[in-house]
Amino acid sequence: MSEEGLLDAGRRRFNRWALAPSLIILFAIAVLPALYLLAASFTPFQLTTPGSATDFSSPLRNYRLLPGDPRFVNSLIVQAKLSFWGVSFQVLLGMLLALLLHVRSGFVEFARTFFLIPMVLPPIVVAVIWKLIYTPDISPLYYAASLVHVTLPSLTSSVDFALISIIVADTWEWLPFTFLMVLAALQTIPDEFSEAALVDGASRIQIFYYVTLPFIAPILLVSAMFRLIDSVKAFPLIFLLTGGGPGSLTEVTNYYAYLLAFDTNEIGYSSAVTVVMLLLVASISLGLVWMGHRREAVS
Amino acid sequence: MGHTHATRAAAAFSRRKLLRAGAAALGAAAFPMPAIAQSKPFSGVTLHGASFQHRFFTLLQNYIPEFEQQTGMKVDLQLSAFPVYNQQANLELSSGGSAYDFVNVTFILAARWVAAGLLSNLDEFTQDANLTPADWNPKDFVDGAQVPYRDVKGATFGYSWEGGAMLMGLSRMDLMEKKGLAIPKTFAELQQVCAAINGTDNVNGIVSFQLHHWCLPPYIQGFGGNIFRNPPADIMPMLNSPEASQALDYYANLLKNYAPRGVLTYTEDQARQSLLTGRSNIFIHSSSWVTPILLSNESKVKDTSRVVRMPAGPVRDCPASNSQGLGIPKNAKNKKAAWEFIKWALSPEISMRLVKEHGHSSICRRSVIESEDYRKLNTVNGQDLGALYLEVLELPAKGENYMAYRTVREFPAVGDVINKAVEQVVTGQLSAQDALKAAQDQAVANLRRAGSAL
Repeated sequence: MSEEGLLDAGRRRFNRWALAPSLIILFAIAVLPALYLLAASFTPFQLTTPGSATDFSSPLRNYRLLPGDPRFVNSLIVQAKLSFWGVSFQVLLGMLLALLLHVRSGFVEFARTFFLIPMVLPPIVVAVIWKLIYTPDISPLYYAASLVHVTLPSLTSSVDFALISIIVADTWEWLPFTFLMVLAALQTIPDEFSEAALVDGASRIQIFYYVTLPFIAPILLVSAMFRLIDSVKAFPLIFLLTGGGPGSLTEVTNYYAYLLAFDTNEIGYSSAVTVVMLLLVASISLGLVWMGHRREAVS
Repeated sequence: MGHTHATRAAAAFSRRKLLRAGAAALGAAAFPMPAIAQSKPFSGVTLHGASFQHRFFTLLQNYIPEFEQQTGMKVDLQLSAFPVYNQQANLELSSGGSAYDFVNVTFILAARWVAAGLLSNLDEFTQDANLTPADWNPKDFVDGAQVPYRDVKGATFGYSWEGGAMLMGLSRMDLMEKKGLAIPKTFAELQQVCAAINGTDNVNGIVSFQLHHWCLPPYIQGFGGNIFRNPPADIMPMLNSPEASQALDYYANLLKNYAPRGVLTYTEDQARQSLLTGRSNIFIHSSSWVTPILLSNESKVKDTSRVVRMPAGPVRDCPASNSQGLGIPKNAKNKKAAWEFIKWALSPEISMRLVKEHGHSSICRRSVIESEDYRKLNTVNGQDLGALYLEVLELPAKGENYMAYRTVREFPAVGDVINKAVEQVVTGQLSAQDALKAAQDQAVANLRRAGSAL
């Protein structure tokens, strides 16, 4: 082997050793729990049934039961609705807000900071804020409505508004994320493009459609992907605002998995629900990444 | 020389030893110490116990150093959140572990733990005069609170430290008197009072909270139904019975028409606050949540409040009650030491100190509840709250144990679908009959999935 080859091999060996501690820690904190989850999903593990944690006699039993469980199926539908509307509003409104605030002004730049506050709050704090807003007895919203003689229904326990109230709170929390991403993208667009379009007689809408949008489209896609993955984690809002109700109208899959594990002690079945959810999220994410690659290849 | 020195030293040592021993004997004769301190039979033992966080244990921890001083043992008491404790203890006991010497026997797990033989028979301790003095008197515990901790043969596996009795608090008796309304004693009267008061002076007729599987069963049983066919022996759910449907219709009607907006999302605290501020006239819940209208400084309605028995149903009168007990795991390492602790923690003396020094009234010793001191502290505006508490707590032991439904391990899965059914009916998604039919199917499916043979 040449001297250069020996040097490369040595460097590779060093890199492997340098990476090893991180990989071991990652394996311990991420892979092992996931493997345990997968193993538990093959058992009828019940906290109240001794020996059930190691009973692998019918490994696919939980998975066979899932399609016939109406609450599980309903939870997937609720999750799909929440994710679709939540992500759509966050991407659309975040983009509009970024376009609106993409101006060179000291005041606007200062004001932008305030739009980021919801995103940096801990999720449970956001849930508490919205709990206060949605509780008729103490809510400023209900008080304001009463001043103009309007009687609002209880939003979080209303059949028509419970899911919407979660979507609104989720959008309030995460809209700044898309706003920040799009704003950063807008700041990278050279002024010459829009100036040239303006000289050619393009309207503001045409400039947005033909110049700005192609620039920010990849960012919108990435934001949507991140938010889609994150939307599955809307647990604190649902836990505190609606408890999955009324009935099962806001019961998303992770909340159902939580109830199964911690309310009724069905760890095995809950693990199966969680594994399915994990696979769905992973498939959607991979699908979006593949679409991104394909788009790049085409362009 | 060396030998002589050694002999002298030995003699001096003996004299010194003798003098010391004499002084000690004289001292002991002059200042005799309690028998337990003299022996310190558990010196060096560390006792491991676990429970969920509760005011009882927070208060008890103030007294534990006295117990440690008396017995010589160290008490390591682990307190966790309610669901966390239940999971840990369930797993520990189910797997035959010996990490704990004493545990809280949670009401909702009691029947399973007792039936599965996971706990030690405490009769072996109470029937041994060397281990339990006669004045400890196991029969002093309120019988209704002890029912969950007995097996079919009547052996005892736990002693209760906490009792809960469902009572009805009325915050606006002034409004009721103005309208000529008496305290409701039946379901029909309750509905009439709620209808008459609701909206008057911005007061809601009734308030409740999210835990419908605690609030609804007394109505189901009051109309003659039950949650299971014959718990704990037969746990086939009975949610689709006409009685259950009638009860759900009745309860949902109260919440729909006479409760505050958003009552379905109310927590216990919110409901209590609504009662204490007089925004809602009636709240039916455990004594510790209802009696603050008379006892708490937060109450704005002390002068216009009453606390009474909840109304009876047309068929039966089944106000809910529960208790929490202390027990010893079957495989505990220090059973005698654990019994010493349980005996001390649930002694009449400690119970009385909790009542007198901290106003903690939800104890289960009859002699203390009936004592003059307890009565004085818990009688407000002429209302003897202790007598009321005792009356309800005793009911499950008189005749049928109607609270047995709540002590079987299958209950959480059924309770969850009851919650859903109530919400569906109150919000108009389904009729009571349809919601309960769906709940029954779901409950049966849940239980079968969990391995129950139905």
